[in-house]
Amino acid sequence: MSLAAGCHPTIDRWRADVTVRLALAGNPNVGKSSLFNWLTGMGVATANYPGKTVEVALATTQFKGQEIGIMDLPGTYALGSTSEDQWVARQALLDARPDAVVAVVDATRLERNLYLPLQLLDMGMPLVIALNLVDEAWRSGVRIDHGRLGRLLGVPVVPTVAVRGQGLDRLMEVALEEARRGGGVSMPRYGRDVEEAVASLADLLVKSGAPLPWELPARAVAILLLEDDEGALGWAASAAGGDEIVAHARAASAEIAGRHDEPAPIRIARERHGLAGDVASRVKSQVRTPSRGQDRFWRWTTAPATGYPLLGLVLVALFAGLFYVGDALSTLLTGGWETYVSPWIRLGVLGVLGEGVTGRSLLWGVDAGVNAALAVGIPYILVFYLMLAVLEDTGYLNAVAFLTDPFMHRLGLHGRAVIPLVAGAGCNVPAIMATRVLATTRERILASTLVCLVPCSARTAVIAGAVSKYVGWEAAVGVYLIVAALGWGAGWGLNRLLPGRSTGLVMEMFPFRAPCLRTMLKRTWHRFAGFVRVAMPVVLAGSLVLGIIYETGLVWAFTAPLAPLVEGWLGLPAVAGLTLIFAVLRKELALQLLITLAVAHYGASAGDITAFMDRGQIFTYALVNTLYIPCIATIAVLAREIGWKRGLAVSGFTIALALLAGGVARRLIAF
Amino acid sequence: MADGGRLPEAALLESLDAVYRLDREGSATLARLAKRLHLEEDDAKSRVRDLEARGLVRAEGPDRLVPTAEGERVALGLVRRHRLLERFLTDTLGLPWHRVHEEASRLTPVLADDIAEALAKHLGAPATCPHGHPIPSADGTLSHEEGTPLHRLRAGQGGTILRIDREEPELLKYLAALGLLPETRIEVEEVGPFGGPILVRSAGSRYALGRKIAARILVRPA
Repeated sequence: MSLAAGCHPTIDRWRADVTVRLALAGNPNVGKSSLFNWLTGMGVATANYPGKTVEVALATTQFKGQEIGIMDLPGTYALGSTSEDQWVARQALLDARPDAVVAVVDATRLERNLYLPLQLLDMGMPLVIALNLVDEAWRSGVRIDHGRLGRLLGVPVVPTVAVRGQGLDRLMEVALEEARRGGGVSMPRYGRDVEEAVASLADLLVKSGAPLPWELPARAVAILLLEDDEGALGWAASAAGGDEIVAHARAASAEIAGRHDEPAPIRIARERHGLAGDVASRVKSQVRTPSRGQDRFWRWTTAPATGYPLLGLVLVALFAGLFYVGDALSTLLTGGWETYVSPWIRLGVLGVLGEGVTGRSLLWGVDAGVNAALAVGIPYILVFYLMLAVLEDTGYLNAVAFLTDPFMHRLGLHGRAVIPLVAGAGCNVPAIMATRVLATTRERILASTLVCLVPCSARTAVIAGAVSKYVGWEAAVGVYLIVAALGWGAGWGLNRLLPGRSTGLVMEMFPFRAPCLRTMLKRTWHRFAGFVRVAMPVVLAGSLVLGIIYETGLVWAFTAPLAPLVEGWLGLPAVAGLTLIFAVLRKELALQLLITLAVAHYGASAGDITAFMDRGQIFTYALVNTLYIPCIATIAVLAREIGWKRGLAVSGFTIALALLAGGVARRLIAF
Repeated sequence: MADGGRLPEAALLESLDAVYRLDREGSATLARLAKRLHLEEDDAKSRVRDLEARGLVRAEGPDRLVPTAEGERVALGLVRRHRLLERFLTDTLGLPWHRVHEEASRLTPVLADDIAEALAKHLGAPATCPHGHPIPSADGTLSHEEGTPLHRLRAGQGGTILRIDREEPELLKYLAALGLLPETRIEVEEVGPFGGPILVRSAGSRYALGRKIAARILVRPA
């Protein structure tokens, strides 16, 4: 962990661009992203920390003629070093040094939500509280005296309804006022003995004269030390006079522990929760008992007897939506492209460059490449993300996780991983992007690898078009069974091979909340734009390279080097091996291309693939095609989500697995 | 005990409380007691002699102090008073949070038994102090409880978190941030089938806890 403030390149650039910087902090599911989406426009950048998958979103916005930077921290319950999201939230906050932090709290669950603002005050952050979801609190009969809440905490409080944009102008005004004012931060006051321990440790820190980590105030560092915080202890270990500081902190912790029968970090957490509860009870009044109707209905989603059938329906709907709506959109987009755009591009390119190799190669990139993206990634991503947004925003995603956790656990994953795995059956690209619902890098690598082994709709098309048609439906089912068994085995094995272990599940279950269309559309757009930015260049460049290889006739040069593998090991005709390479552009291309190349190679009689491949060969061909790296778009997304090195490793693994399975199948399975 | 059940003087009670706590932490020795009370060892020794004379503490082995049965009863009475006072100072008087623990400590030794009971009645017999620690009942004791692992509870059953098993400071801290601290009331809403997670409700929020984690949370079933 670096200790100087401001050392993340993306965050630094964002800092330099704006005059005022605000950060949004809050627990998960309190409407923080709605608020962020409402405040900001389309231009959102994300910042990652090496080795961490949780992102921080950065945007700029105009308010009353001022250029304002807004940073959306990951939703967390606290800022510590106990989990990836907490670590990232805190580090980003320390790196960005915002002029004010807006803590978004859920008015319906004020007690639990005030913990984080208290911790932010402990860190000496200038704070404004957005008391969100006041409409829901009102409906459930809860009234909150926000003026009194502000007085008790010593910070401004603005009631908001983020999904409808209510109170946000006022919030911005107050936040900017707070940012302008700077300094003079209010501090929570805990029990006297804790305060004394903090004060004496802070005194020592000031006297030691050592530059404090992250430019934090002494009180903040003292609290972190008493909380046994890894980062702060690491700083003290290397600071001048650090030994004395550590010794003093240890003694003070022991004193607190002795007095209260529990470790100092737990006592401090208890003090914060206690203070939060005390403040909440002073400002909250229940004017009538809330109706439990919605609550009772929502419990059906987690009760096994009703939960599993409902989950089955939802997963079928998700899959069907992706399969049919995605497919329809894909047909529409590619149809539109082929009818209205493609002819003009062909005309233009061939008109300028002539009918030669250069022109035709370029067309692979700018025509076939774009068409591939329109056919594979884009339609499915749009459909899937809209559906995922519904699952996320209603809070149903956590019910899914609850119900499927025991099964996913055997693969080292959490219940949440079932969503990407099911989505993978439609298209691997959004599925891999959906692994973001998982918390740790380890889980995301595991889930991404497994997603790559889930046959997507394109691969299903090949299995149906080749195996079902020429070998029989039993063989097609066989392909699926083999792939499922290999996927399960790969997950099981990877879970044992990857360092670390699966962490236990600790997850808040959210009450039902009606989703907000505006937020969902905007989020879908951001994710979609992210895909286009990263994947399109890769898809276009990849297509261009394949085009050059194909159009220059270089493709036939691969026949000889591939022969031992394709003909020797897999027992396939060389021409089939070539199509497997090209199918990396779009998996369903494999079959189409197989026929084209076969005709070029063997003559017109090869229009029917049974003319040059037997049933066993077709089976092997489809199996290998299903198992190896899904497609160029998937590689691009893998690289974006888990890094190039890991993305290529996963790709390499699937190739090896495909070759192994193909070779073994060729030898063991006879038709 | 003298008039109206007034307890012995403040300094002695403070010492008894310290012996009781040190004993629960591991073992109470004279040196530790002196350090805890910020006293010279000789002064601590004279306090211990007083406590022994009143039959509240006895020496066990060469250097270990243990509260007697009577001493434990008195010490628990002190805990009860202290926590009741904390409730009173927060809920009724609206004293600022940071002064509550300290002021309650100051008032504890001078509070008579019958006044403590009147206070409990006035407050509606609260179950916990504002920090969430349980208030011992007037006659009851707080003994070391074994606790039941959370995953053994049935759906619909409630309980109080006793402690988090095994030394897992990170898990403890994570759960603490969520508010799942020892002495927190929870209710099991659902037990996931096929060895799935446990769904618990606490202070209006619901949490799913994996079996492995639930097994490490020891509760006192209600």
